[in-house]
Amino acid sequence: MKLPVVHFTQEQEQFRLEVRAFLQRHLKEGTFRTKCDSWLSGSDPVFSKLVAEQGWIGMTWPQEYGGGERSTIERYILTEEFLAAGAPVAAHWFADRQTGPLLLRFGTEEQRQLFLPKIIRGDCFFAIGLSEPNSGSDLASVRTKAEKVEGGWLVNGAKTWTSNAHDAHYMVTLVRTAPYDQVSKHSGLSQLIIDLHAPGVTITPIPYLTGERHFNDVFFENVFVPDAMVVGTIGNGWTQGLAELAFERSGPERILSTFPLLNELIIELKQAYDTVGLATASKLLAEMWSLRNLSIGVAQVLEEGGEVAIPAALVKSIGTKFEQKIPEIARLLVATYPRLQAERAFDRYMAESILHAPGFTIRGGTSEVLYGIVAKGVVAQ
Amino acid sequence: MSEMLEFVTEVVEKIYKDLITKETVDLLEEGKWATTLWQQLVDNELLKVAITEQYGGANGDIADLLALYQLTGYYAVPAPVLEHTLANFILEYVRLTPFESITTISFNDKQMLTMTNGKLDGNIPNVPWARSAQQLVTFAQEGEVLKLIAVGLAQASIVQATNLAAEPRDTVSFQQAEIIAQTEINEQQLQKLIKYTTAAKLAALSGALDKAFQLSVRYSKEREQFGRPIHRFQLVQQHLANLAGEAAIATAAIENMAGALVNETERYEVAFTSIRLDEASKIVATSAHQVHAAIGVTYEHSLQHYTRRLWAWREEGLTTHYWQKQLADDLLQVENVWSWMTTK
Ligand SMILES: Cc1cc2nc3c(=O)[nH]c(=O)nc-3n(C[C@H](O)[C@H](O)[C@H](O)COP(=O)(O)OP(=O)(O)OC[C@H]3O[C@@H](n4cnc5c(N)ncnc54)[C@H](O)[C@@H]3O)c2cc1C
Repeated sequence: MKLPVVHFTQEQEQFRLEVRAFLQRHLKEGTFRTKCDSWLSGSDPVFSKLVAEQGWIGMTWPQEYGGGERSTIERYILTEEFLAAGAPVAAHWFADRQTGPLLLRFGTEEQRQLFLPKIIRGDCFFAIGLSEPNSGSDLASVRTKAEKVEGGWLVNGAKTWTSNAHDAHYMVTLVRTAPYDQVSKHSGLSQLIIDLHAPGVTITPIPYLTGERHFNDVFFENVFVPDAMVVGTIGNGWTQGLAELAFERSGPERILSTFPLLNELIIELKQAYDTVGLATASKLLAEMWSLRNLSIGVAQVLEEGGEVAIPAALVKSIGTKFEQKIPEIARLLVATYPRLQAERAFDRYMAESILHAPGFTIRGGTSEVLYGIVAKGVVAQ
Repeated sequence: MSEMLEFVTEVVEKIYKDLITKETVDLLEEGKWATTLWQQLVDNELLKVAITEQYGGANGDIADLLALYQLTGYYAVPAPVLEHTLANFILEYVRLTPFESITTISFNDKQMLTMTNGKLDGNIPNVPWARSAQQLVTFAQEGEVLKLIAVGLAQASIVQATNLAAEPRDTVSFQQAEIIAQTEINEQQLQKLIKYTTAAKLAALSGALDKAFQLSVRYSKEREQFGRPIHRFQLVQQHLANLAGEAAIATAAIENMAGALVNETERYEVAFTSIRLDEASKIVATSAHQVHAAIGVTYEHSLQHYTRRLWAWREEGLTTHYWQKQLADDLLQVENVWSWMTTK
């Protein structure tokens, strides 16, 4: 499992500064307020529009759809900067990270023409419809059903834990287009794009630990989905879905969700001239550095079209543990009284980090299931 | 624990079991609390367990109280049971008269209240249940002298706030307030009071921790993936084993600490319990959430009531941070650690 070492070019460094300046300006102007876990819990369509105006949504996609044809590494830099600043990027996150690449790889030309320019302009958001009440880790057991009818499919069933479904316009939904077969569970699955405002779709919030709305139940009652909204090949949903997961699992969002807190910790310690505290905090920085190396290496291999399922699972399982560890160490170095409404940034980031942390090692595949993938992978090698 | 007190604890648990559901705890979110439960406890004189017969109590000691607080944590009781009973226990400890009406208590390591000419000034943040209580028991500084005081809350201005678990934690400010009762505190008493309040918090925390463990075991038997209950997967078993270990360690630590406090032999027990439970709460909250996966991070499931309490309570009063420093100071004086820990 050897990953390449990536050295950023002069232009890439320059790009990083450009993104940073943009974020600093908007922080100063009060366009947004820094937040931990902003990529899942900070949904702000107005801010997404500003990001789009910079050409920073779909920035790696082909120019014919309005994309920037920039490199995966540049997108990596952009993402890091957004997370480090705790910017509210949740609204466009899934479309940018997952749906766009999916459509470029498996979608029809018509779908690309229809969705990609809108996503790039920050006008069209997607949600990811995988989990169901009884299908969590065992994703192949999904039961939401699509039956063939004249000109399309009729969908019945329910998805759950769907992040941002309430702000999204569409959802890429994994459904069963052939009866469930205990023996070959992976067959008969397909991906449909469902219009979340279509008749028969009901979205209800599930209040998260913080009391806020981040994810939802989504119910389908005889929802009609035209043939044109099938992604890729009917019955090929499992394979297509797996391809998406490598993008989902290895990015900086599996390392930096609680970075604003780590940053604030160091500020506090420096103000207090606490050298012992800083020594402990520096260990976290070393950990972050080593994780980044791994994660950037995976990004490079993805760019070259290589196979990264196993290192991506590793980045996610180790990275999310690291994200969880930051609040646990920070609170022992600086006294805190965590509150979501706290005036003091350290207390507020602490509350956000603590209450969001349990989700890190669950969303996008639980650590246990990822360990299974890694173990199987290394045994097979 | 005497037989009588054992009986009392059983009765209290029965009342908690009957009257506290997830919905009752949820009410805190809307700023309401379990007043019906409170009335039951008052009517049955169960809030007087640890005050002396002289005031109509059952003569209980700190260990009895800690047993009660473990239950309070286990049921996430949305009422100031701990604060009221502890305040009264402490008032008697310093030979002041306990109160019938709701009383709360707040001990911080930062003293912010001052007394001049018998009048009280200053403000304290994070006072539990101040909005519902009639009196507050706390420390105040008068010149060089540290005092334990009781002050009426009607004269305070109160800004409402809550902790991570939606429990009331208000900021209370006094301006030339009248003091109801006061007494001077010496260094030895101060140390004792600090230990009692920390122990109380730790007992409640251990109850919440135990509940998070129990909920995880139950869930792992009910939830199926890949065609079998998840407790059949080795990695889930590992979580369950870790949870069981932490719950056992926490309970044993509380019992040892309680024994030392009752026998007045305590030296490092409170500090060690604090440090170890801080670690345990971290492991338990993490593993319990992991076992429950997505359902556990919702308001729908009751796990959050217990994990949010773990996260909130560990930062309240005198924290592990404080006790680590205490231990560090102690250790500087210690010649041989092993004999320090093993020899009286
Ligand atoms: C904040 C958040 C956002 C989310 N957003 C989305 C979203 O946008 N779209 C979406 O589709 N889903 C989303 N999810 C759902 C997420 O993908 C699932 O929660 C996850 O896949 C786990 O499923 P589950 O919750 O049903 O847990 P279960 O699968 O029931 O797992 C319970 C426990 O059993 C363990 N377990 C299960 N099977 C095994 C095994 N074979 N070996 C070892 N251990 C096992 C798990 O690791 C876990 O500890 C989100 C979840 C969270 C927390």
